[in-house]
Amino acid sequence: MIEILFYILSTLTIGSAVLTILSKNPIHSAIWLVVSFFSIAGHYILLNAQFLGMVHIMVYSGAIMILMLFTIMLMNLNVTNEIQKPFVTKIVATISFCLVGVLLLSIAMRANQSFELNYAQTGEDFQSVHVLGKILLDEYVVPFEMVAILLLLSMIGAVLISKKDKKVA
Amino acid sequence: MNTLIAIGGLAVLVLIAEIINLRKFIIPITIIGLLGILGLTINDFGLQATYFNNMIVVNKFSTAFNSLFIVLTIFLVTLSGDFYKDQLPKISDYISLKLFLLMGAVSMVSFGNMAMFFLGLEILSISLYILAGSNRKDIRSNESGMKYFLLGSFASGVVLFGIAFIYGATATFDIGEIFKLAINGGIPKWYQLGVVLIIIGMLFKIAAVPFHFWAPDVYQGAPTLTTTLMSTLAKVVAIATLYKLSLILTLSMPEAYITALVFISIITMTVGNIMALRQDNIKRLLAYSGISHAGFMIMALVNLAQSEASLFYYATAYALAGIAAFTVVIVVCRGKSEELIEQFNGLAKRSPLLAAVMSIALLSMGGIPIFAGFFGKFFLFSQALEKGYITLVIFGVINSIISIFYYFKVILAMYTKEVEENASELQIPLSYKVVGVVAILINIVIGLYPSFLLDIF
Repeated sequence: MIEILFYILSTLTIGSAVLTILSKNPIHSAIWLVVSFFSIAGHYILLNAQFLGMVHIMVYSGAIMILMLFTIMLMNLNVTNEIQKPFVTKIVATISFCLVGVLLLSIAMRANQSFELNYAQTGEDFQSVHVLGKILLDEYVVPFEMVAILLLLSMIGAVLISKKDKKVA
Repeated sequence: MNTLIAIGGLAVLVLIAEIINLRKFIIPITIIGLLGILGLTINDFGLQATYFNNMIVVNKFSTAFNSLFIVLTIFLVTLSGDFYKDQLPKISDYISLKLFLLMGAVSMVSFGNMAMFFLGLEILSISLYILAGSNRKDIRSNESGMKYFLLGSFASGVVLFGIAFIYGATATFDIGEIFKLAINGGIPKWYQLGVVLIIIGMLFKIAAVPFHFWAPDVYQGAPTLTTTLMSTLAKVVAIATLYKLSLILTLSMPEAYITALVFISIITMTVGNIMALRQDNIKRLLAYSGISHAGFMIMALVNLAQSEASLFYYATAYALAGIAAFTVVIVVCRGKSEELIEQFNGLAKRSPLLAAVMSIALLSMGGIPIFAGFFGKFFLFSQALEKGYITLVIFGVINSIISIFYYFKVILAMYTKEVEENASELQIPLSYKVVGVVAILINIVIGLYPSFLLDIF
């Protein structure tokens, strides 16, 4: 069951990633990327990393994609005019892509040894959001509050930079 | 711990003052509040304590540096009142950003856990990115903010990568446990890789060569008050954090690490000073001078065990002289599109007080005796000599001599050149006179009684 789900998700991830690259229209590209991000979040949830999955949906599919779509729309890139790169650039890009591909493939081929990990059976699911929340608000409460300050000050900064200059009477 | 909470409370108070329309009182409230917090911090002196599962460690080092940061912030907030008088609706944002920045600074020297260190670093850096780009209609401010943001976030990424390596090697974020595991030996090799990455990230933040390329452009483009903040408070925070991190992490580093540090220190001093000789923009000149001072402060890292007090002394002397010098720069170069040294021509006639403040500040930075800068250099040199780094000290002395040249270029312009014809009447707000004079007085006092600061450790 899990295995079937995994293969479906993987097909979806790789397929939408390929479509992201191949689409001519930047907006279509961005939307395929959203699909790809969602299916990666699915992989996280399959691995029982619930928090990571939810954060991935919120941050990548939500915030970052909105940012990209805004940029595309504001810069008026949705016109499908093909930019011709010089021939040398194309060659160099192809060669470096092939090298990275060979590297990744060789790493994947070597990784066929399996590790027997002995997890301690404590009866508690350490990947659940319950445990994470307890640790976050108990042991790590000060860093948690500091993150809140970090977000607050970035918000103040955004307001500061976009505020209208009023003439002082 | 109390310091951190009190500063946060004060920052929120400033934001509330904006809502209930008390903008005129923001600066007095902040100054009084910060003075109170300074008292609270000094009151903690000699206290050794940890708070919240060892997230925050209070000791002599953190209390001393926190007090220095608060004093610098008081000066910066006092300068803000007049600097931002044309943008009164934004004043609460500026002041609260500065207070949040101070929170980041405090948590960077009193962290007990790598998470706190990284969050402090990010709070400090993100406030600085915002402040550097805050003059949004000026293209140079935009350039400065953008450059600083791109390069700075890259450096933060490197630091985070280093922390991840160290976590991978020790399975803990707690600095006490990391320290224990590191000196016991038998730690995986990537621990050292992580340490090197963290140190590189911090060297970027203090603008040491070869990670200094951002500094002159960013300093020049940012609003002058932000430049003041970057070259005094931010630099001192970064060097104090680098020192604290080195104490915890680098004891098990191989011999070559110290050699690299000595090399970076020498090259930072030399490149900073030689580039400064050719500048005609005062902000770029002070940026390069800041780079060379970073080189001097790295000297403290070669003799970690004993240099705590002398590093604190040097940082205090440098930061106070920097505040005084930039106060004069703000007044002289206000409303000009560029801050050229020519604008200082004949300052002694236009305002003898400002010329004297500027001269003393520059002489102190150059290391002329009786001012604090001289003793700062003297203590750092003698510390390095004790450990036998003679080459380092020779280069340090040569660089002090080179630096006199460009500091005197400004002083000569002020005292011997004629005033430009179209120069308008200088308007010096009272707060600027107070800040300049007080900073210089503290500088002279600690120059006359160095033991006042040295004996607290």
